[in-house]
Amino acid sequence: MVLTSNLKLLLIFLVLSAFTSPIFVLRVRASSESVAASAVNQAEQALASAYEAVLEAERTGVNVSGLLARLNEAGELLARAHVSYGLGDFDGAARSADLCGQIGEEVRVEAHGLRSLAVEEVVQRFRWTMIGSILSVTVIVGAGFLGWRMFKLRYCRRVLGMKPEVAKDES
Amino acid sequence: MNLEDYRTLFAVATAGLILMAAFPTLSLVVPFPRGAERFSELWVLGPNRMAEDYPFNVRVGEQYRVFVGVGNHMGSSSYYLVYAKFRNQSQPLPDASNSMPSPLPPLYEFRFLVMDGGSWEAPLTFMFLEVSRLEDSCLVRRIWINDVVFSVDSPSRWDSENNGFYYQLFFELWLYDVTSRSFQFHNRFVGIWLNMTG
Repeated sequence: MVLTSNLKLLLIFLVLSAFTSPIFVLRVRASSESVAASAVNQAEQALASAYEAVLEAERTGVNVSGLLARLNEAGELLARAHVSYGLGDFDGAARSADLCGQIGEEVRVEAHGLRSLAVEEVVQRFRWTMIGSILSVTVIVGAGFLGWRMFKLRYCRRVLGMKPEVAKDES
Repeated sequence: MNLEDYRTLFAVATAGLILMAAFPTLSLVVPFPRGAERFSELWVLGPNRMAEDYPFNVRVGEQYRVFVGVGNHMGSSSYYLVYAKFRNQSQPLPDASNSMPSPLPPLYEFRFLVMDGGSWEAPLTFMFLEVSRLEDSCLVRRIWINDVVFSVDSPSRWDSENNGFYYQLFFELWLYDVTSRSFQFHNRFVGIWLNMTG
């Protein structure tokens, strides 16, 4: 009985020693470091992709001020993640990076949606502008042709209606 | 004017009207070049958001504040990165002629996006936490910047010409390049000199 309880105590001691050993602590630390590095890397990519999506949306005429404000929040989180990572606070870095990645992804999706809407609008506007231009050009060409014909007719009539005058030669 | 002259006049007037009518469509298709120069601004302001009262004679345990600002004139929204770095007189600054950043590691950083024509500004509060001084040398060990403590271990020798232990807190501007999908040094930096007095 006593032997069994002693064995149990020894086992608990060995397990605790293993958990607190430098090798175990170092391994856990390395693991959290790699997790944080991966999270920061992913957050960087998410923010860059979101920025590129916002830029494309902006080029199609979308007002991106709201999207930029949210990306600035993500940028602050990413900067915090970098600073935390540099100081060895890997948990804090991973937390900030994850939040940044989430915001970046949301903004990217929203920017793509807004861009699609804007592209449709631009195509529609282009169509109507082109129809307007074609109609205007047709009217101008037609009116110009008719106007020229009428002008030429009047001009010829006026010229033909002129009576030649005979001037005296006084020399 | 004879009939030929009138015909030319008519043709020119009609061509002008056609161009005017087609302009809205052409403007959507033909990219018109923008003449404006594209650039970014980087500045540092004092604690009152003015270009005055910059911290200069600094002491251990006292808080100092500056404002870092960036203006975007790049023709579209831009994604910036500002690194705050700390150096002594002998450590290298960025090389503007070769567009190279300072090799010193950044202490603090800001990441933000600015619309074209817009600007961004943020406070940076700093405090020297641990400084060792001997007769003609000074060692800044730890700096506190915006609630974060950084180990710097930056030594400085007594500058007998200017009577002080001089350090510089400077800021580098980096710009995200969509083509390379990475940040590139934007060849702009600005800093303030600090004299460690006590």
